[in-house]
Amino acid sequence: MADARADSGRTMLIVAAALVIGGLVWLVGRRRDSGARGLAEGVPPLSPHRPREPRPIPEARLPEGQIVVSGLTKQYRDVRAVDGLSFAVEPGRVTGFLGPNGAGKTTTLRMLLGLVAPTAGSATIGGVRYADLRDPLCRVGGVLEASGGHPARTGRNHLRILCLSAGLPLGRADEVLALVGLTAAGNRKFREYSLGMRQRLGVAAALIGDPQVLILDEPVNGLDPEGIRWMRDLLRALAAEGRTILVSSHLLSEMELLADDLIIIAAGKLAAQGSVVSVAGSLVHGSRTLVRTPDVDGLMAALAGRAMVTPGDNGEVYVTGVDAAEIGDAAQQAGIAIHQLATQRPDLEAAFLEVTRGKTAIR
Amino acid sequence: MSLPGDPVLDRVYHPGAVPVRLVRAEIMKIRTTSIWWLFLLGVVVFTAGALWANAVSHHLELYPPLGSLTGAARVQAVTQAARARTHSGLVAIAANMMTSGQFLGVLFAMLIGVLVITSEFAHQTATATFLATPRRAVVITAKLVAAAGFGALFWLVSTIMDALITPFYLYSQHVSVSLTSWIVVRSVLLSLLAFAIWACFGLGLGALVRSQIGSVITGMAVYLAGLAAVEITFHLIYNFYPHGWVLGAPVIAPAVASTVMITPGRAFAHAPPQWAGLVIMVGYAAALAASGIAMTRRRDVT
Repeated sequence: MADARADSGRTMLIVAAALVIGGLVWLVGRRRDSGARGLAEGVPPLSPHRPREPRPIPEARLPEGQIVVSGLTKQYRDVRAVDGLSFAVEPGRVTGFLGPNGAGKTTTLRMLLGLVAPTAGSATIGGVRYADLRDPLCRVGGVLEASGGHPARTGRNHLRILCLSAGLPLGRADEVLALVGLTAAGNRKFREYSLGMRQRLGVAAALIGDPQVLILDEPVNGLDPEGIRWMRDLLRALAAEGRTILVSSHLLSEMELLADDLIIIAAGKLAAQGSVVSVAGSLVHGSRTLVRTPDVDGLMAALAGRAMVTPGDNGEVYVTGVDAAEIGDAAQQAGIAIHQLATQRPDLEAAFLEVTRGKTAIR
Repeated sequence: MSLPGDPVLDRVYHPGAVPVRLVRAEIMKIRTTSIWWLFLLGVVVFTAGALWANAVSHHLELYPPLGSLTGAARVQAVTQAARARTHSGLVAIAANMMTSGQFLGVLFAMLIGVLVITSEFAHQTATATFLATPRRAVVITAKLVAAAGFGALFWLVSTIMDALITPFYLYSQHVSVSLTSWIVVRSVLLSLLAFAIWACFGLGLGALVRSQIGSVITGMAVYLAGLAAVEITFHLIYNFYPHGWVLGAPVIAPAVASTVMITPGRAFAHAPPQWAGLVIMVGYAAALAASGIAMTRRRDVT
């Protein structure tokens, strides 16, 4: 009886050991496979055994920071959040990613960062999908709107965990804390952080691997004026070092101050793309002239049929359809005194409203 | 501002293999919140309670209060005591004492598995995690190892308490059984396996359900209510279809399977052998963990 029991015990242990060993073999085998399979075309294959030398630190700013989005589409059940979107983002510049609420900005950025799977199309950083990047934190930093944290964990520990998973020394956490001005709050718990501090912690996490590319979703949300100023200076300085900065926002005034290039999307589609000046200037037909004159009726008569005159506050009128020189000539011929004549270029706000008109409805 | 010149990054650093550092990161995630030591406290309390309850019930088994019993009950108590005093009966008592606290202890192992994954979604840290490691299957595997490690810690604390109390108890009951006998040691080791398997079970469950409250409730229900449900169901079936194996069938409930797996001999009348419990438990945990990994890879992180 006792022997039989000991026998069955031994059998059971052998079965258990076989299961464990079999499972391990299967896991290791699968890891090798996925390393060989999961590569995008044109990417040099990784060696089957990973080299154990220290992590290569990106020294020079290699021309690897270009972001290319091509035909990117995301179909949710009954909403096409992103619809055949294509654009490119160049290194060394701050690119503003603008669009009304619900335009698909966050979905696009999440697809770019491999968090959301696209229905169609591709998004690459330096020619590689995010999911195929080796050492992703050392190449791309992401600050997403919902940069979260465990309420009971300190900001410093949050960053140290990232250091561990990225293979960085733990001391790097203190460096980036200092960089974003959170050193004093490092040992406080995340639940005690203000929204502005959480944004700074998100930026610290994004900078932890000293990446070439930074992707930020609404980073100035919840920041006070001083914080907004700090964020602007930081992003400009990072771009000046040759990094690629893609930053989404719905705050146009902020983008005018910060961005070099603009990508405007509406209803998941590209609405306008180019430098800030060219996007604003592409809508010249929207330019108008401010005129101050004692004889508004006379001016309207002189310009009748050629231009549209709309009255403004304090006796000013706005003239559209003709330029300032024509107005001046017409006024002189009609003998009308002109006190002020000023061309007003369309601002970004106007351009934005123009290109996104009718597409701002909640979908 | 210039980041490349930062001293720490320029220092030569050996980060170690990817899986190792990911497991370390996952362990640090658990360590930097308060939940693990609250659970550990729970394990200590339940182990103490289980030691007390087992001590009382085994005492009554060995030394039934015959004076207060009459007739059939008295005969039954005498037979039971005689069976308990055989060598295998005494070994079973020793093994049971040495695994006290396991029944509810594995519940905490399951819960830590659930929390390891669901807290990432509840507090939106999943974004940072998957940005750091886009290969999600590797992340979940590291979580499995870390959760199983904390399950093992719970087992260690529970077993140390058992090992401190049991020798004194057995001595006081005039039971002389070697605690290093293979059957006892095997039960204790299988109990370790049970803690680890339950942690994997919880993690797979959490990855499937994702909602923290939802998977905690589901896990508790599967463990506790599932236990009662199969007992009642199979006893009813037995009434119409009286075959012995029907009474052994409750082993399909995870809670029963894990009891069967660590109990030497038969855990209850008609119970299947220990290895069957082990196979069923490993099967559940593997199926849940595998589907959790598959689900995590497929779903969008928003």
